[in-house]
Formats: sequence, C-alpha cells, structure tokens
Amino acid sequence: MSQTITIDPVTRLEGHGKITIQLNGQGEVEDAHFHVTQVRGFERFSEGRPFYEMPGLMARICGICPVSHLIASAKACEAIMSVRIPHTAAQLRRMMNLAQMVQSHALSFFYLASPDLLLGMDTDPKVRNILGLAAAKPELGRAGVALRRFGQSIIELLGEKRVHPGWVVPGGVTEPLSTEKRDKILAMIPEAYGNITLALGAYKKIAGTFKAEIAAFANFPSNYMRLINEDESIEFTDGALRLIDPKGNTIEDGITATRYSEVIGEAVEPYSYTKFAYYKPLGYPEGSYRVGPLARLNIVKHMSTPKAEKELTEFKQLASGPVESSFHYHHARLVEMLYGIEKIEEILADSRILDKHVRATAGVNRLEGAGQAEAPRGVLHHHYKVDENGKMTWANLVIATGQNNKAMNLGVLQAARHYIKNGKFTEGILNRVEAVVRTFDPCLSCSTHAFGQMPLAITLVSAEGEVLDKVVRD
Amino acid sequence: MTDNREGDNLNSDLAAPLHFEKANCLVLACGNTLRSDDGVGLRLADWAAERFQGDSNVHVVARQQWTPDLAADIAAADSVLFVDSSVDSVPGRVSLVAVPSNCGSGDARSHHLEAHELLGLTRSLYGSMSAHAMLLTVGAASTELGESFSEPVESAIPRARGLLEKTVLRFLSN
Repeated sequence: MSQTITIDPVTRLEGHGKITIQLNGQGEVEDAHFHVTQVRGFERFSEGRPFYEMPGLMARICGICPVSHLIASAKACEAIMSVRIPHTAAQLRRMMNLAQMVQSHALSFFYLASPDLLLGMDTDPKVRNILGLAAAKPELGRAGVALRRFGQSIIELLGEKRVHPGWVVPGGVTEPLSTEKRDKILAMIPEAYGNITLALGAYKKIAGTFKAEIAAFANFPSNYMRLINEDESIEFTDGALRLIDPKGNTIEDGITATRYSEVIGEAVEPYSYTKFAYYKPLGYPEGSYRVGPLARLNIVKHMSTPKAEKELTEFKQLASGPVESSFHYHHARLVEMLYGIEKIEEILADSRILDKHVRATAGVNRLEGAGQAEAPRGVLHHHYKVDENGKMTWANLVIATGQNNKAMNLGVLQAARHYIKNGKFTEGILNRVEAVVRTFDPCLSCSTHAFGQMPLAITLVSAEGEVLDKVVRD
Repeated sequence: MTDNREGDNLNSDLAAPLHFEKANCLVLACGNTLRSDDGVGLRLADWAAERFQGDSNVHVVARQQWTPDLAADIAAADSVLFVDSSVDSVPGRVSLVAVPSNCGSGDARSHHLEAHELLGLTRSLYGSMSAHAMLLTVGAASTELGESFSEPVESAIPRARGLLEKTVLRFLSN
C-alpha cells in the first residue's frame, strides 16, 4: 500500500510552500516534491505601466530583498535608456545591495536556521524557534538582531525606508550620500565585525556535529552560476555571469543580462507555480544549476577583502572541488556577511563617495532591456520590453528560487530517502526534510504582511485516501 | 493584528498624577494601511510622532509587523506602549492592557511576533524588561483590502489618541 506524507506548510521560510513524499508499499521513498503554491503575477500587471515606474513596482515583490529587485529593475530600465550611471551612484547602489545581503543573511541564519543548528533538529518544536534560541544562546541572538539592524539601518539611511526604499531609480539614485550619514554607517562597522566573528566561530564549533545532515542535505554534483568580475573576484551588483560544471570547470562565461535569455530557459513542472531555470545548451533537467551563497563561493576565486579572503580559503578546504552539500549554504552565508561588512567599509573610503552627481537621465532609446544583480539567494534577472512611448508591453523575471528549484526538489528527495525507512518517521525527521529547503533560504512570498498564525499539518494518507496519521499545530 | 484576549483590561482609569519627569518611552505601532482598519495603529503612530515631536524622550516606531529586531529598541526604553488593531474586540472599542510578563510561546514566528513575545525576546536577549509595557488596541470591524477605516474605528480614533497621550505622559512621569 503506497502512502503520501504531506508537510504543509514548510515552516521558517520566506513564503509558503509544501512538501509531499510518496512511499511505496514497502514504506520506502519513491519520490518527493517541494511545491510552491503561490502565484506572483507581477509580470502581467506591469504591462501598460511607464517603464520608469518598474523599480518601485517590482520591489514590492519582496519585503526581504526589495533592493535586489530595485537594482535589477533599474538596470533593465537603463538598458532601455542606453545610459551608464555615474560611478558614485554605482558604488552607493553596491553598498545598499550589500547591506540588504547582510540583513537578509542574518535573518536566514539566526532567525530561520539557527533554531535547528544551535538547539538541535530533534528539539521540541515548541522551543525550536527564535524565542527558544534567545533563551538558550542570548549572545548569538543579540548578534543576529544587531547584524539585521546593521543592514536595515544602512538601507534606511540611504533610502529613507528600511523596506521598499524608492532611492534606486533608472539612471542612478535620487540623493547623494551626506557626510553625516557616511559617518553614521562607519560608526556601526566595528560592532558588526564583532558580531559576525562571534557567529562564524559558533558555527564552526557546531558544524562538525551535523555530519549526517551534511551528507544527506542536497549533497550531489551540480552546475553553479553567479555574477563575477573580470578579475574573478566576487561581485553582487555588476559584472557578468559565469556557469561552472560539477567539477568546477567553466561552462560559459561573460553571460550579460542581454544574453541571459539566450542561454537560460525555464521549464515547468505540474506540481509547482515556480518555474525551473536551466542552461539551454544542456537542456532540462541536465542544465539545472544552483545559485546563491554556496554557488557564489564555489565559483569565485578571491573575495577582494582580507578577512573574507581568509574565510574563503578555509571554506574551499571543505572539498577538493566545488562544495556540494547544501548544508554548507549556512557557512557560505556567514562568509558573505563578513565580506559585505568589509566591502561597505571599503566603499565608504572611496574618495568620490560623497559626489553629488548620482543620476543620469535619458528617454527611451531601445525597446528592450535586461538587468541582473545578485540577490541574497542568488542571481536575479529582469527583462522588459516597451513601446516607443516607454509603456511596458512585456516583462519576465527569473528569481533565485526558480534557479535553485530543481536542486531543492532533488535535495528533499535525497533527505527523505535517507531518513524515512519502512514508512516510519518522526517530527525530527520531517524537520530535517524541511531543513534541506531552509539551507537554500528560498523566498516564495510576494507580500510583506503575514496575517494570523502559520499552522502546520502533517498527514499520512493511504493509497485509498484513508488518513492513517495526522499531526496538527494550530 | 493583535489578539488581546490575554491580560488585564485597564481600559478605564489612568488618572495618575502627571509629573512630567521625563523618561524614555517607546511607542511601537503595527498595522497595514492597505487593509482598512488594520492600519489604525499606523494612523495613531503618525499622530503620536507629531504630538511628541521634539520630545527626545518619546520615540515612535511604526512597522507593518513586529519583528525580532525590535527587541533592541525595547531594551533601550524604560517603557513601551504597543499600538495595534484587534480583531477580537468589539469594533471601535479602545482598550489598554498590561502586556503579560510571562512571555513564553510555542508558536513564535520569525517575521511577526505578538507584543508579549517581543517583550519576552527582549528579556531573553538583553536581560531587561521595560518598567511599563502596555498594549493599546482599537477593535477592528474590517480588515479587507481598503485604505479607509470603518465608521466604528474612525469614531474611536479621538478616544484612542487621548488614551495614547495619557499613557505616554504617565509613563514619562514615572
């Protein structure tokens, strides 16, 4: 008798999704899927809007990484305008994108993942949350709160708002940086260094206790993609994309935003509203790839900042080639946070950072444009078409979660097969299956306001539809 | 949106003497201005920011959700007044309740905490509890999509402002 295990919703994610696990008559896992059950629809309702409204509209997709949407969208608009933005504007955008990366990674690591990592995968779910973490490890809880506030404060200082700032616009940014704001950001940096150092130390101490999870959490060869500079250093806002194979060899380099749609396709599966991005020359699913912190550290040759460079060297010692287990996304996230703090400090030392010329202006000079940037979870791509009056006629967005979709599904299947035997499972086992998805930190939501409580219901159903077991959290 | 079924209802009397010996007071409002009555907390926050403009002892923070990082703001304040709408109250009813000091929760979420959870988180992280922690709510009639308030909530706003002002002044005097 076959059975289906359903985890709905998967908790501690950005947005709502569910997992189904199909068992055969012997209770062994035959298949598993991660379902994204939301519809976004932003592409369609942008049609008819003036193209210069797009950054502000598209940023509303996400309350966690609106800055990445702002930047990718503004870059697509700048391709339509055929303008190159001033140096200072590019540096200021880079700083805001890094600030967002720090705050988003802090949320992922401390609020969403740490209850599993620091309290244990099998801990009572009643305490396996941010409050339980704060009670057990207050110093790390404080570090998490402080790092999130560090990133949010910089975004607010630059763009006046913590969420959905309107400061990034086609052609640059609306306001230059003042001396006062620069000094305020600089004053926050020493504390940020202290907090990320504490977190890295704590993570390295406990990582070794998760050998089983490292072995079973999306631990397989894959392709990887990220933005990279010409000197092979890390880049989050500019540069071009590089795709590498499972052994670390470059498959294709210099994929600009304009070329993206030539080489990246999107497949559809019946069980999810999120598409599955793939590299067209390899086809689907062979051309699937991973993006985000793990992919970025696997591809990059050096970090360009000293502290992060040291951490990158240590990270790369985890494997002789690309680091394969998605469990290591957590580690990579911490390294990137350190880089973000260092790079922000470096940007603030730029002799032109207080320049007043921060915006280029132009009208419609092309009828099509594309832009890309690294969001905290991976590459984000915006592609627009307009008419001669600049009215939007078509849009397509490829977000990081779609690019990680195949790997997330394979990871769920791998973990389910590893842990579920003879049809038996515990809450801790199902939490591990959920935790595989959490390593990717997928962002499924397009709204910023959760209403009411998030329930959890796990149902064991026979092939005949009979409910065999059910666990409900109201 | 607040579930204010817990806590003692202190709706009636706040007639303590007002000494105006300044202390640090945080007004922490929550709501969504696109969901009709759910936005009343933010409307009250706007009013409070104007009413106490220039008073460095009153800090007003308005958010769509109460997130864990706000614990640092609470830890820095001597007193905190949470302001929100409530779907469990009679529409238009203005209530003021003490936020319970027993702050444990089995359902804590990462993106949205209730007032008592946020207070508990503050205590765990910073070892501090605000001397005064109260929750002011206005009963909501509708949280459907919309940018205006229902009649009961619109009518309740003057009373809510009065209670907010009185509470902040009382906090500052203690």
